Amino acid sequence: MQSLRSWSIAAPGILWLTALGCTRPAPPPPSTTIQMLAVPKLPLDPSDELWKKTPEYSAALIPQDLVDPRLMQPSTSSLRIRALTEGSHVAFRMEWTDETENNRSTPNEFGDGCAVQMPSKVKPTIPAPQMGEPGRPVQITFWNAAWQAVAEGRGDTLQDLYPRANVDHYPFQAAALKPDSPEQSEMAKRYSPARAAGNPMSRPPGAPVQDLQAEGPGSLSSLPHTTSKGSGRRIEHGWAVVITRELPAGMNEQPQGQVAFAVWDGAHEEVGARKMRTAWIPLVRPEKP
Amino acid sequence: MALVRNWQIGREMSYWYPENRPKKQFAAVFDINKCIACQTCTLACKTTWTSGKGQEYMLWNNVESKPYGCYPLGWDVKLLNRLGAQEWDKASYSGQTIFEAAPAGERVLGWRPGERDYAYPNVGEDDCAGSVEKGASLQVPHLIWFFYLARICNHCTYPACLASCPRGSIYKRQEDGIVLVDQSRCRGYRECTRGCPYKKVFFNPLTGTSEKCIACFPKIEQGQQPQCFVNCIGKIRLAGWISKPDQARPENPLDFLVHIKKVALPLFPQFGLEPNVYYIPPIHAPKSFLHQLFGPAATEAVKTYQAAHSDADLAGLLSLFGCTQQVVPAWKRDGDFIVGLTDDAKEIVRVPFREPVHIAAPFDDKHQVARVNCP
Ligand code: SF4
Ligand code: SF4
Repeated sequence: MQSLRSWSIAAPGILWLTALGCTRPAPPPPSTTIQMLAVPKLPLDPSDELWKKTPEYSAALIPQDLVDPRLMQPSTSSLRIRALTEGSHVAFRMEWTDETENNRSTPNEFGDGCAVQMPSKVKPTIPAPQMGEPGRPVQITFWNAAWQAVAEGRGDTLQDLYPRANVDHYPFQAAALKPDSPEQSEMAKRYSPARAAGNPMSRPPGAPVQDLQAEGPGSLSSLPHTTSKGSGRRIEHGWAVVITRELPAGMNEQPQGQVAFAVWDGAHEEVGARKMRTAWIPLVRPEKP
Repeated sequence: MALVRNWQIGREMSYWYPENRPKKQFAAVFDINKCIACQTCTLACKTTWTSGKGQEYMLWNNVESKPYGCYPLGWDVKLLNRLGAQEWDKASYSGQTIFEAAPAGERVLGWRPGERDYAYPNVGEDDCAGSVEKGASLQVPHLIWFFYLARICNHCTYPACLASCPRGSIYKRQEDGIVLVDQSRCRGYRECTRGCPYKKVFFNPLTGTSEKCIACFPKIEQGQQPQCFVNCIGKIRLAGWISKPDQARPENPLDFLVHIKKVALPLFPQFGLEPNVYYIPPIHAPKSFLHQLFGPAATEAVKTYQAAHSDADLAGLLSLFGCTQQVVPAWKRDGDFIVGLTDDAKEIVRVPFREPVHIAAPFDDKHQVARVNCP
């Protein structure tokens, strides 16, 4: 169990209002809190005009160094964050520098990614920042550039990943099976073990994000349904990603909640436990008008 | 890290989890001397398990020509280079295993193959170790040599794939020691493809999870040998159950070959995984190469194999390979026959020690025709 104070960031906070799209100044020093701005409707597009009017905060990223495998070489150093709420949901716009776009997931290529983590329930005592702890679960929404590419229309065949690949035949292409018939998809599934097992990793349902929960490192599991939304876009020198998700239970009873972020750089072979992450950052409700 | 006993390296070693041996351990003996690289095993596996989308490049079973063949590219030499020169002290390995040599922040010493590494499954096929010089003669070991190494997952006692997974998505079944990737839990981190030194876990880019040889567990559960065993043209393979050396039973064919005759040896025991596919080394390859692959016991194993003609039990048991679909948990020699038995001593198969030979007369009197076998 940790007190709220001990997980907060000690550095002084500066609230930034920066016009999007202009030449970016160096990231602001890490912020002590992130305050959500109240809006009637949450935007999903990272380039929505509304974001320009939203205060920008910054968080320092540190390597995951609690459990093996660790990230031994720090990569992405900081993250710019903006937060909006319409009362029940929060939208985070995350932006970070990453010169290489990695949106493929193959034997040794990894998609760029980011994640938002919040305690499953906001209480005065808060879970450990590295994926929670037994009895103190956290909820995580994960965005991945490979899923974004699929959401934007990349197909589900080998040729979509390797355009010059040639495959003679798959068992589900047998002449006896009518193309696109339920029998054929049933057969195709049989030759696709993770899909047959219902693993949500095996084919995201069109969305580039996944809702998960964890009670400590290694315990991450997908929630039965992903209700969060996400959208990522390449910007000059990096990524801008919006994740909108439900605010955790208890958020309205406590003066503030917590949020933590993580970033994966695919070019750096970052995946799973090999990631850059922030500490908990207090997430403050909008000021009452 | 825990301290565990690894009998193949004759000492205790560090492993990510405490020792937890299954009730029974699936194991196999492959007689390298008999393999003809027909790849029927590869095809038997491919058509059974990996003909789906995203599995195109996967070969859970592959057969490569040593010394130059390797799938994926350089799977063995890349790790040997990383591990550096290591020593055996007689039967005890004094060097570092891949668990002990793990760099800071890693669970094992490993590397992850990329697309290019999977692009040449036939590299080095039938390539000799050198060129035939003038004046060369045939002797054993051969001056110029190559041999075929058939490889599947070793269903290791200390799997590096399992140790590498931060999510615990890989498990070893208590009932048979088969190592599996839980397809509903895997999140495709590819730590296992990095960690397995034998490179027998593969990432499926279309499902986003890792997949590996499952030892045809649905067949094993019914007492049958896996597909690559029963389809083997060279009859080089025998599946069964292996005991710990101090519990070896001579009536168990695997125990007899591995622990009692010590004619079959694990592949790269020095990596520390206690792999459970045991190879009868090729008699014609140089000693130093066999030592690197199978440890210092290789020389004795070759001698034992070469002397098998005067060891009725050993020669007899070798003829049981590839003679039945069923797993043979016990065996006995009955005069000129080798008998495969079930656990409760019921006969599964009876194989003559020597195949009966019938010589036909060159001329068939009845049909008034010469028996010739050429046009
Ligand atoms: S051979 Fe590789 S994949 Fe098979 S059990 Fe051993 S470490 Fe795991
Ligand atoms: S089927 Fe048997 S003989 Fe043929 S390549 Fe495979 S192991 Fe060798």
